[in-house]
Amino acid sequence: MAIVEASASPALLEEAGQGRFRGWLRHLELIFPGALLVLIIGGCFVWPLVAAVPDPVGGDVLESNLPAFSEGHLLGTDPNGNDVWSRILYGGRASLVVGVAVNVLGLIVGGTLGAVSAHVGGLLDAVIMRVLDVLIAFPSLVLTLAVAQSLGPSQVNTIFALAFFSVPAFARVSRAATLRLREQPFMTAARLSGTSGRRMLFRHIAPNITPQLVTFSMLSMGIIIVIEGALSFLGLGIPPPAPSWGNMISQGQQALSATPMLVVWPCVVLFLTVLAFNLLGETLRARWSGR
Amino acid sequence: MRTRLQQLIACVGVILVVAACGGGPAGTSAGPAGPPQQGGSLTTLVTSGFAGSWPSGLDPATNTTGGANLSHMNAIFSGLFKLVADDDGGNARVEPELASGYEFEDGGKTVKVSIREGIEFSDGTPFDAEAVAFNWERAVDSSCTCAPRWPLVEEGGITVEGNTVVLKFTQPYAAVINSMVVSNANWIASPTALEKMGEEKFKMKPVGAGPFKVVSNRLSSELRLTRNENYHKQGRPYLDELIIKSVGGDQPAYQAVLAGQAQVFEGMVTTPLIDQAQGNPQVTVTPQPPTSPYVIQLNTKKAPFDEQKAREAIYYATDVEAIRKGLFGNRYPAAQTFTGPGGMFHDDTVPGYRTYDPEKARQLVKELGGLTVHLGTIKQYVAEQINTALQSQWEEVGIKTTIDSHELNSLIGNFNSGEWEAMLQTAGAWDPAAGVGVGFRFDSEAPFSGVADPELDTLLDDAAATIEPQERDELYAEAGKLISDKAYAPFILAFAPTNIAAEGVHGPGVTTKIPPVLVNTGIQWDEVWMSQ
Amino acid sequence: MTTTEPVTDDAREAAPGAVARLVHSPSVRLIARRLVAAVPIVLGVSILTFIVLSLIPGDAAQLLLGPEATPEQIAAMHRQMGLDQPPVQRYLGWLGGALTGDLGNSLVSGQPVTGELGSRLAVTGELVGLAFVLSLGLAIPVALLAAYKPNRLFDRVSMLVSITGLAVANYVIALLLVLVFAVQFAFFPAIGFVPIGQGIGENLRSMLLPAVSIAFPLFCFYTRFLRGDLVDQLRGEDYIVTARAKGIGPGQVLLRHAFRNSSFGLLTVVGLNLGTLIGATVIIEQIFALPGIGQLLLQAINTRDFVVVQACVVVFAVVAVLANLVTDLLYAVLDPRIRYGNR
Repeated sequence: MAIVEASASPALLEEAGQGRFRGWLRHLELIFPGALLVLIIGGCFVWPLVAAVPDPVGGDVLESNLPAFSEGHLLGTDPNGNDVWSRILYGGRASLVVGVAVNVLGLIVGGTLGAVSAHVGGLLDAVIMRVLDVLIAFPSLVLTLAVAQSLGPSQVNTIFALAFFSVPAFARVSRAATLRLREQPFMTAARLSGTSGRRMLFRHIAPNITPQLVTFSMLSMGIIIVIEGALSFLGLGIPPPAPSWGNMISQGQQALSATPMLVVWPCVVLFLTVLAFNLLGETLRARWSGR
Repeated sequence: MRTRLQQLIACVGVILVVAACGGGPAGTSAGPAGPPQQGGSLTTLVTSGFAGSWPSGLDPATNTTGGANLSHMNAIFSGLFKLVADDDGGNARVEPELASGYEFEDGGKTVKVSIREGIEFSDGTPFDAEAVAFNWERAVDSSCTCAPRWPLVEEGGITVEGNTVVLKFTQPYAAVINSMVVSNANWIASPTALEKMGEEKFKMKPVGAGPFKVVSNRLSSELRLTRNENYHKQGRPYLDELIIKSVGGDQPAYQAVLAGQAQVFEGMVTTPLIDQAQGNPQVTVTPQPPTSPYVIQLNTKKAPFDEQKAREAIYYATDVEAIRKGLFGNRYPAAQTFTGPGGMFHDDTVPGYRTYDPEKARQLVKELGGLTVHLGTIKQYVAEQINTALQSQWEEVGIKTTIDSHELNSLIGNFNSGEWEAMLQTAGAWDPAAGVGVGFRFDSEAPFSGVADPELDTLLDDAAATIEPQERDELYAEAGKLISDKAYAPFILAFAPTNIAAEGVHGPGVTTKIPPVLVNTGIQWDEVWMSQ
Repeated sequence: MTTTEPVTDDAREAAPGAVARLVHSPSVRLIARRLVAAVPIVLGVSILTFIVLSLIPGDAAQLLLGPEATPEQIAAMHRQMGLDQPPVQRYLGWLGGALTGDLGNSLVSGQPVTGELGSRLAVTGELVGLAFVLSLGLAIPVALLAAYKPNRLFDRVSMLVSITGLAVANYVIALLLVLVFAVQFAFFPAIGFVPIGQGIGENLRSMLLPAVSIAFPLFCFYTRFLRGDLVDQLRGEDYIVTARAKGIGPGQVLLRHAFRNSSFGLLTVVGLNLGTLIGATVIIEQIFALPGIGQLLLQAINTRDFVVVQACVVVFAVVAVLANLVTDLLYAVLDPRIRYGNR
């Protein structure tokens, strides 16, 4: 999970503008994943509002397992007669909401924890780091299973359970970034000029580590969505019939050899989503680290 | 940009191709079964969520999952009685196996079970009435859920007369023998071995008089068995070695049979896979005759289903034919009462049973001023699918429905608290009085029941106590009619899992049909053989 | 446990004068310090497990006795299991046993946990070890090749492959691998574990598909990570500029300088991954019917056999901590200049 942690080294800006083509390519690096994301998010959240998309649940069981391009069912139907295309769109809502929520939780809680820990240092740092070490050495799955089983499977509880994966990871990224920042001359200057601890944290540290945390969250989006599917495989996660990409895949695998497309479609959109977030994350990282 | 897209398309293509080549190569069709052959090692797969889970060991007195672990237990212990059937699953009957017979006296208040002469446990000690009585006393005293619930008299409930064990009941209990085949009391452990090893070791490597002996046992994972040379039937078992392995799902299990790592898979439930297997000449697909129907239990002790109209609305709103066809390809018969066609006292229909009628359902919902239902079930593939379909159908007629599936723990919690409204469950057994029979779901006293009707209690109690089959049949028909008239619980379809066998494997319960006593079929492992 | 961070030094005071010389040997001091630091972590994990398990609804006694059990029966069963004692006392009792190597008896089967865990640890250990070897063994050359000429065809293809691996769940990969390599072409068995005693060839054959199922997503992750880091290093680190200025060839710069530096980050990530890997083994052991710890853990959670869960979790934690210790040592080997705790 610590993609950025060890790698966000200062880099020189690549010599820009080797002809027009290079310039275009640089834009494309941002435009392509951006457009893909807009397409995916728009498809999931907006398209069902403007176009006639069947309900993702409540299908007619007599229309079960229709192949793709059947009348009225672009991608066919699942064993319960629910429209797969619609489930992809609505499932995307659930998966993206989980992915974003878990990352935002990680970013805010973990990010703050890491930054404060590094900034204050001393005993507080030692305690926070020990707790995080415990969380990291602890098999996350057990924690997740415990949360899911004691609270019952639901979207909100899935988010909480998955936050156990993301908070320690974000805390480490944020701590490492803050530590590096402390050695920068402007931080020393601020410290010497008597800036208060809180002001340092909000004015100097937060703005400087946020880019790293944001790129990190881009890269971990896909991982979170896939882990949600793993929870579904173990009977947790977002409970069907409400769709999520993860639970569509885990339900579909039960008869993978007989009805492979039920697994393929959600895998394809998940692939596109992970691709978009990864490309965006890398482009942002390259740009921010070059700043 | 263009190259990126091309790469992307190529990549998606790879996934499709890989996914599509799951059909498996075409094999030759199974030839006629010749005379049984000796020898060979057979691996049978059981699903980790059900039969493949034996966390408390295999001692009959403490195995809480004995009803699911039929293969394990029958292979090690055989059984006092066994359920046999013709190859097509018809004419199912309980026959004495290690017992030689039984007799009722006192109008069913006393039963005498005589034990076959000259049998030995696999450790060479004698299998006799003393051993059986020892086991039964131990079982009755056990705190296990698997302890037999016999209405024994306080003193001298279990006694030995020569080579006969006598059970004395406080009330007539005619179903004792039929329910024996689903009960841990059917399996008799060697008292000598138990004493020598101690309980903790014995549950890992139990000793019985069955066709196989335990070589190694890794709980809920793998059980390795070898031929019992001391087995009482000449020339049996055919197999030298039997390995029972737990596997996590239908798809991996089916793949393992196709790849040759296993020869038998017990209990396939996923319809598209069963369809695919039936089209594959490499395997023999044997759907077992269903005995236990799915039923929607309604909690009549609590709103909304304390009102008959609400219950009737559920009857009218449920389109069983659509579920049968859409989910299961017409594979399982519709049920209107607590028996399936493979079980005893079965009736296809119940006079006056309310079938699908959306108009009436809508009307009733209107009269009730709306109906909101929470429908639960156990976490299991088939049950969840049926629940999803039910939700759609009920919503269609205006019943607001939420569904949810429980772990066993929370299911028990729900029933204990009485806070549930509707539960999709399986009811009945091969003999309705046996095990998780009809009483379990409908008796006022039973914790898993939503019905409290003294009339129904009496009917079910009388039916369990009656010896004469004709009379029992009538009593059960009456009970079925009562459940239907009062709209206590709509039945869906009678379900039974399917067994898959690789080419060249033959045997009763594997490639022939035997009604499942509860959920899964008791395979007769001593008769199973494979061509070399 | 990012190793470039200072480690609170508990070991220094603890070292008595008599063994001072030995203690002053840097590697011994390092190991000692890390081991001492690991103790509170393992303790913390065991306490956390205890707390978490008490939050999960349902208990083994209820499951064993069934729905019809009376409260008295359940209470009796609790006494028998020792669940009637207060939690602190139970924990201390468990800790006392654990320190002497006795992890208790399973609540459900009554069997001693230590022996069972030992034999299963071998299976899971081999699975995870093989997965690491495969994923790292492939990720390093692929990432090097990709970073050698960034944004060229090989780089792009490797990116698409690795993003596929990040997007496809490991259980789907497992089932597809079996369909192709066990069903279609009978190269490997579809399920089952062959102990190493029955021949190393057969053993590896039985472990390859499960290991690949776990290794593929890891490989993708490491490739993405290492490639990104290498490109960053090559882009502008001062020492790279210096090396280039000295006229060292691009291949040399990549291997000798950039990779050497990037390997620290990779090591850190590998160490951190261990905790999440457990989730993968749980699922993969189910699919391949492997008698490992993941299988045991899942069964134990389902039967609420908390003694077994506790043991599994602590074993995992110890392994994770040891793995981090090993990464730290490798760090020291790779770069002797790193002085631990004296940053």
